Amino acid sequence: MTSMAYRMGIVAAVLFGAGATVGCGGASAKVPPPATADRASPDDDDATAGLMEHHRHHHHGGVTLFIAMSLDTLGVSPEQQGAVEKIRSDLHAQMEPARAAEQNLVTTLADGLAAGNIDVAKVDAAIAQLTAAAAALHDKSADALNRLHSVLTPPQRAALVDKVAAHWAVWRKANAEETTPNTPDVGRLATLATDLGLTADQVDRIRAALVDGMKAVPRLDPREIGTHLGAFGDAFRNEQFDAMTLTTASGANAHLVGWGGAHMAHFIEAVSPVLTADQRASFAQRLRDHASHDPSAQANP
Amino acid sequence: MSQVSQTNLLRRMVFTAALAVTVVATAGCGGMEMDADYPGGGGGDGIYGAYGDYPSDAYVATTEPVYYGGYASYWYGGRWNYQNGGRWNHYDREPAGLYQRRMQGLSRRRTYESSHGRPGGHSTGRGGGRGGGHR
Repeated sequence: MTSMAYRMGIVAAVLFGAGATVGCGGASAKVPPPATADRASPDDDDATAGLMEHHRHHHHGGVTLFIAMSLDTLGVSPEQQGAVEKIRSDLHAQMEPARAAEQNLVTTLADGLAAGNIDVAKVDAAIAQLTAAAAALHDKSADALNRLHSVLTPPQRAALVDKVAAHWAVWRKANAEETTPNTPDVGRLATLATDLGLTADQVDRIRAALVDGMKAVPRLDPREIGTHLGAFGDAFRNEQFDAMTLTTASGANAHLVGWGGAHMAHFIEAVSPVLTADQRASFAQRLRDHASHDPSAQANP
Repeated sequence: MSQVSQTNLLRRMVFTAALAVTVVATAGCGGMEMDADYPGGGGGDGIYGAYGDYPSDAYVATTEPVYYGGYASYWYGGRWNYQNGGRWNHYDREPAGLYQRRMQGLSRRRTYESSHGRPGGHSTGRGGGRGGGHR
């Protein structure tokens, strides 16, 4: 009897140990989390500011660019890394005609800004070229998207869809129309005011010019982009996926990229007459810097 | 020493070893409960919530998640958050697997532009992991 009690005690102890080990998967941590190192608001930190700046100046790939950028922080295994990096590189290669068209647009704007005389006809032609390049992008990138779907796991596919939606939300915020005094301090005008040291009077005059200038820009229809993102998300989460069935893609890319280019152009046209020569030169140089680099295309470290 | 004494001694040694295994296994998974140290557990110090309870769009777009339980989890505001069907959820108690990843400091953020209005390549920082304080 004594022997039986000891055996039961041993078995109970071992079972308790095993149960505790398995069950600890959902338990909270024993050690306190390290002290918070960065208490900045997500709207203030460098990564957020950098992303806003990027989406303000680089529209060329539309939703395809959002997808490619989402791969930068998707979190893939070492075994997946090579294939995903190849797909990312292919997507950027397919966006190259649109990137070059956007570079032409921004350079045209920078030249006109520096000279104090923006060639509107030339700018409009550059916007049309950019829009056409964006419209052709999805068909060219369909194979890369299909390969991407086959490489990723279901959780990674879902995470990518969420990241694409997040990029769209940030893009909208970065390119929000700033025609009222209640515009956010992270917007295009606020950023420019900080960078160029604009006076309050200059900011008011620019804002007034934007009210008139933006009337010439067709309104962005976020529903068109949202409809496509919804279709892409539903399709990409599925076990089977064929990018060629996404009939909304080309229209959404053309709309997003065309509007982004036109909005940027009208902003610069509205700003130009209010700036001093030095401010125009500084702003023009900043635009050329953006035109000559493409940070999202650089390989992940 | 009698045979009975030797048997009892052997039983005590086995029992003691089993208890030792129990203690080591339980502590080894980092799982003793101290919810007050994990704000998501309800005993929080209030470091989440000031800017909204869940990760911002910019945070999701620039931060590498940790995959756990079939979801992409983001360390944000002092707790682990994940999206399910387009809605945010969080772990009230930190799963050991996520705790271990956090201690390894593996959460990566990407910065596309160097600063306001000054393009200059990219950098990759480490955020959200050990520091874990974006909120």
